[in-house]
Amino acid sequence: MTAASAPALARPRPATRRPGIATARLLRLELRHNAMLWMLPVAIALFWLTTYRKTMAMPPLWNLRAASMQAGVVVAFVCPVAGAAAWMGSREARRRMADLVTIAARPRWARQLATWAATTGWAMVGYAGCVGVVYGVTAQQAAWGGPLWWPAAVGAASLPVMSALGFAAGTLVPSRFTAPLAAIAAFFVLVLSTELIHGSQSYWQVSPVVTGPWDTGPDAGVATFYPYLPDLPIAQVMFLAGLTVAVLGALALRRGSGGRSLRAAAAAVTGAGLVAAGTAVGLAGTGKLDRHGMIAIPALHNAASDRPIHFTPVCSHTAIPVCLNPAYASYLASTAAALEPVLTEIAGLPGAPARISQGAAAYEQGAGNDVGIGLAGPVISGTPPVYRMLLPDQQLGPTLTNGEFASEVRSTVGPNIVAIVIGDGPGASRAQHAVAAALMVAAGQPLQGAPPGTAATASGGSARCERPAARCPAARSGRGAGGMNRPPGLTPGSPAYAAARRFAALPAAARHAWLMQHLAALRAGQITLAQLP
Amino acid sequence: MTASGVRHAPTAAAGPGRPPARSLWAGIRLVRLYAASRRVPAALAAIAACAIGLRITLIGHWDTYGAFQLPLLFEAGSAVAITATAASPLGEPERITGRWLPFLRLATALALTAAAAGALAAAGAGAHLAGGTLDVVRNLAGLTGIGLMCAAVLGGGLAWVGPTGYLAVGAYGLYSQWHHPALTTPWIWPARPPHDLGAAICAGLVFAAGMAVVTLRGARDPAGE
Repeated sequence: MTAASAPALARPRPATRRPGIATARLLRLELRHNAMLWMLPVAIALFWLTTYRKTMAMPPLWNLRAASMQAGVVVAFVCPVAGAAAWMGSREARRRMADLVTIAARPRWARQLATWAATTGWAMVGYAGCVGVVYGVTAQQAAWGGPLWWPAAVGAASLPVMSALGFAAGTLVPSRFTAPLAAIAAFFVLVLSTELIHGSQSYWQVSPVVTGPWDTGPDAGVATFYPYLPDLPIAQVMFLAGLTVAVLGALALRRGSGGRSLRAAAAAVTGAGLVAAGTAVGLAGTGKLDRHGMIAIPALHNAASDRPIHFTPVCSHTAIPVCLNPAYASYLASTAAALEPVLTEIAGLPGAPARISQGAAAYEQGAGNDVGIGLAGPVISGTPPVYRMLLPDQQLGPTLTNGEFASEVRSTVGPNIVAIVIGDGPGASRAQHAVAAALMVAAGQPLQGAPPGTAATASGGSARCERPAARCPAARSGRGAGGMNRPPGLTPGSPAYAAARRFAALPAAARHAWLMQHLAALRAGQITLAQLP
Repeated sequence: MTASGVRHAPTAAAGPGRPPARSLWAGIRLVRLYAASRRVPAALAAIAACAIGLRITLIGHWDTYGAFQLPLLFEAGSAVAITATAASPLGEPERITGRWLPFLRLATALALTAAAAGALAAAGAGAHLAGGTLDVVRNLAGLTGIGLMCAAVLGGGLAWVGPTGYLAVGAYGLYSQWHHPALTTPWIWPARPPHDLGAAICAGLVFAAGMAVVTLRGARDPAGE
C-alpha cells in the first residue's frame, strides 16, 4: 500500500483526555515487561530457605513467628528487589532509548513512577504470598491469639523503599554494574547496620529487621501476657514511608523530569519525606526496653498497651495442676509430664502449692545489648499458695526440642518447687538438704553433683552467646525458674548423702507419711540427719 | 554504510605468512578491544573498590556475626563485577567473527578472578580477616562460577542474580551456625570452615563449570543491550 492509496480520514478525531486509563495502560505495560516478575522465584526461594524453614521450626506462637518472619522476609527480598529496581531504572539508558522517550507525551518522572510502581507491585505480590503462607499455617497450628499485623506492615513498607533506592541508583548511574552493586549495597546496609545498635535507645532500631531488643532475637516471652507494642513498628513504617517519598520526589528534581510546577511540588514532597524519616529516626532513638520485653517509645506509647491480656489458662490433671497461658498450650503435656513425679511427691503436704502457674517474664536492659530476664512478681503468691514459674522458652537461648524442653523443666522447676516446700536453701539445715535431695531422687533426678542451673545470674537472665551454638555450652546456663535457689548437691560419702539415699529408698507412702508429720519441724530446722528415717 | 565504504584490511594481515610483529600487534589490539567491549577496566575499578572497602571496614569493630559476613559481601561484589564482563554488546554477530573468542572469554574471566582474589587477600593482610585468604579464594571462585553460569542462562546483564542470591544464602548459612538448625551442606561453602575439603571441592566444581560454560558458549545476550 502506498501513501497515495491510503484512505484519508474525513475529519480529524478530537483528542480525548483520559489520564486514568492512560496511566492504567502504562502500568499494565510496565507490569508485563518488568524484571521483578522474573525475580520472584529467586525471592521466594530465598524466603523459603532462610525464613520459612526457620520460622516454621519455631513453636506455633504468633509473637515468635511474626517477629521471625519480619526480620527474615526483609533480608530475603532485599537483593532481588533492589537489584531488579536498579535494572529497571537503568533500562532506558541501557537500551539507548533515553533520547527517544524524551519526546513522549508524559513527563519523565511519570514514566519512571510507573516503572517503579510495577516493580514494587510485583515485589508486593511475592511478599503477600510469603506472608500469607506463614500466617495461614500458623493460624492452623496456634492454640491461642491471632495474627500480628504490625510485623507484616513493616515488611510491606520495606519493599517500596528498597525498590525506590534501587530504582534511583539505576536511573542516576545507568551501568551494567549498577544493579548488582545496588543489591549488595542494600544487603550490606540492611544486615550489617544493626551492628551499630547498642542498647534499646539506639537510632538504628529504625531498621526494618529489628523487632525488639537487638541480640535477643524472636522471643517467646513477649506479647503473650501483654499486648504487642506497636511503638517501634509505627516509627519504622513512618521512616520507610518517608524515605520512599523522599527518594521518589528527588527523582523529579532532575532537569528534564517535568515542568517547573512539577519540580516544585516534588521538592516539597521530598522535604516532607525527609522530615518524616528524620522524625522517625529521632523517635526510635527515644525508645527503651519496657518490663514486658518490647521497645516502648514515649511519644507513640499508648498506656492501654500496658494492661495485661485476660485469658483462661489451660491446666493439666496432675496431682497438683500445672496451668499455662493458652498460647503455650502445646507445651502443657511436656511440662506436666516433666513435673509429675515431683508433684506426686509433694501433693498434699502442708505448704505445698495448690497450683503451678506460668508467670509473665520481666525484662531489664543490661550493659550494651544484654537483657536480663526474670519472673515478674513473686514465685509464691496467694492463698492457697500458687507457685509461679517461667517456661524455658520464655527466656533467652536457642529454641529447644521437646526433649530438651522437658529436661530443662525437670532440672530447674522441679528442684525449685521441692526447695520451697522443704524450705531448702543457703541457710537450711543438712536434714533439709538431704530430704530435698531425696525427693528429687525419688522423682527420678540424679543425686550426685551440683544441680543444673546453679550458675544462673542474679536476674535469671542470660546474654546471647557471640559464638556458634555448638561452642556455647553455657548458652542456657541462665535459664532459671524464677531466680529461686536450688538445693545444693551433696558430697558422696557424707552423712547427708547417706541420709538422702536412705530417705529416698523408703516406700513413697512412708516418705509421704513422715513428711506429713514432721515437715513443720523440718522447715524450722529442728530435725537432725540422725532423726531422718 | 554501503559495501563500498568498508575499509579493506591489508591482505598480508589475513594470510598465513604475515610478519610476527604485526601479528603480535593485532593480538594486543584484539585483547584491548575485547576488554573495552566487556567493560573490563570498569570491572577492575569495581574490584579495587571492593578491596578498598573491605580494608576500610576491617578497621572497624565487628561482632562475630559481622566479622564473618563482611568478607562475603565484598567477595560477592567482586564476583558480580567479574560476571558483568561476560555480557557482550554485540551478541550473535560476534560469535562468527573468529576463533579467538572462547580463549578471550576464558582468559578474561580467569585474569579478573585472580586479580580479585589477590586484591581481597591483600586488603585483608595485617587485619583480622575472618576465614583468611583460603576462605576468600574459595568463596570468590564459587560465587564467580555461579555468576558465569547465570550469564550463560540468563544473559550477562542479569548474571548478578545468582551471586547476589547466593550471598543471602551464604550469609544465612553463617547465621545458622549460631541458630539451629545449622546448614552444614558443603554446597553452602561460605558457612564451612576454610579448610573444609568438601566445601572447597563444591566451590571448585561450580567455578570450573562456570568457566567451561562461559568459555564454550559465552553469555546469552541479545545484541544492542
